[in-house]
Amino acid sequence: MAGIEELSPAVGPVDTRPPEGEIDEDEDEELDETFIERLWGLTEMFPDTLRSAAEVTISSSVTMAKKLYSFSRAALWVGTTSFMILVLPVVFETERLQLEQQQLQQQRQILLGPNAGMSGGMPGMMPPAPVKM
Amino acid sequence: MGNVLAASSPAPPSAPGSGVVQGGPGLVSVPPGFSMPSVPPPSVPGQPAGETGSPLPNPGTYEECHRKCKEVVPIQLEGVRLVVNKGLSNHFQVSHTVTLSTLAESGYRFGATYVGTQQTGPAESFPVMMGDMDNTGSLNAQVIHQLTSAVRSKIAIQTQQHKFVNWQCDLEYRGDDFTSAVTLGNPDVLLGSGIIVAHYLQSISPALALGGELVYHRRPGEEGAVTSLMGRYTGNNYVATLTLGGAGAHATYYHRANDQLQLGVEFEGSMRTQETAVSFGYQLDLPKANLLFKGSVDSNWVVGAVLEKKLLPLPLSLALGAFLNQKKNTFQCGVNVTVG
Repeated sequence: MAGIEELSPAVGPVDTRPPEGEIDEDEDEELDETFIERLWGLTEMFPDTLRSAAEVTISSSVTMAKKLYSFSRAALWVGTTSFMILVLPVVFETERLQLEQQQLQQQRQILLGPNAGMSGGMPGMMPPAPVKM
Repeated sequence: MGNVLAASSPAPPSAPGSGVVQGGPGLVSVPPGFSMPSVPPPSVPGQPAGETGSPLPNPGTYEECHRKCKEVVPIQLEGVRLVVNKGLSNHFQVSHTVTLSTLAESGYRFGATYVGTQQTGPAESFPVMMGDMDNTGSLNAQVIHQLTSAVRSKIAIQTQQHKFVNWQCDLEYRGDDFTSAVTLGNPDVLLGSGIIVAHYLQSISPALALGGELVYHRRPGEEGAVTSLMGRYTGNNYVATLTLGGAGAHATYYHRANDQLQLGVEFEGSMRTQETAVSFGYQLDLPKANLLFKGSVDSNWVVGAVLEKKLLPLPLSLALGAFLNQKKNTFQCGVNVTVG
């Protein structure tokens, strides 16, 4: 048919798709934003019930972990301060008393000999009398 | 000096506005506007456990029943307090108290105690007159006298600067196995107002004592009465007391574990505020270390302790107290130094 015009050979085949370079750029731009989303998209292969169950499990365990952390912080503080107020002074004083008694015992040992240093030592034990000239 | 120290009752009531904070509703519920003076009852006489021939002992006074448990629980200390006690003679004792406080006002207080010559027992003499005056002019005064061998009377007044805040008169009759007391508080003949409190405590068995209390208060245009019943059971090394009344319930349990450790548990429920509170206290006594330690844990998340130590070569005694409210995260500590 004469009506058909021949296109100039320079035109070449009609490209309906953008050239390779543009395709790569577009996909690269999408790649930068959608990496996580691509991973997330992978989960879409699991059935809905499994996904919702996993979501509930993970969120509740995260909440529980947070609560456990804050509870253990509060419990540690309450426990430490209560112990400090209720028990610590008595512990200090009894330790001091023990040390004093030990010291006294040691002094007695040094003065009167090793056997007399014991509290409730034998009543008949006499220290060796110094020799008088 | 032994006479003066042994016969003097515990310190007269501190003026309202001092920094001592004591939680929990009182035993007697008094409507607002009335202040029930917390005058301490006379010291326990050195009476034998039972008169020879009578199987039932005298049960003591009504107010003392909860006292054993209350003594185990520490008092909240606040600020610095220096107390100097000086005995001038066998009958007369003087005390100076300087209080430095962050919450209340700091002040100086002068107190004098006179113990008379009528001796009723090895550790008591009557009359006992105690007076206390603040640097602002507030006065607390008490006169305790043994009228006859069974009747004891007490008159107490308390003023805030020049205004009379509390004035009361108290008569106590001790029978063989019962004690009855009548207290007339803030009677005002011109206004027609006042409070009358009647106590009765009877020994049912050597271990069990039952009693009752009736409070009648009257104001122009308003009057009311509150009654309560009390039971006290004394075991080998424990005392359990229960008070039930229109104002609520109050139960205490005191246990002596060994000669170093004493425990007390107290439960208090108030009808008016619909609140209950449980508190557990313990007292640790180490005479070898000159140490007295009292601690308490409360259901209001309050943890507190008071450590008292005698610094022995000097007649000096040091008390350190700390109270921590875990819930509100508030803390209060105080130091008391007592000389003499």
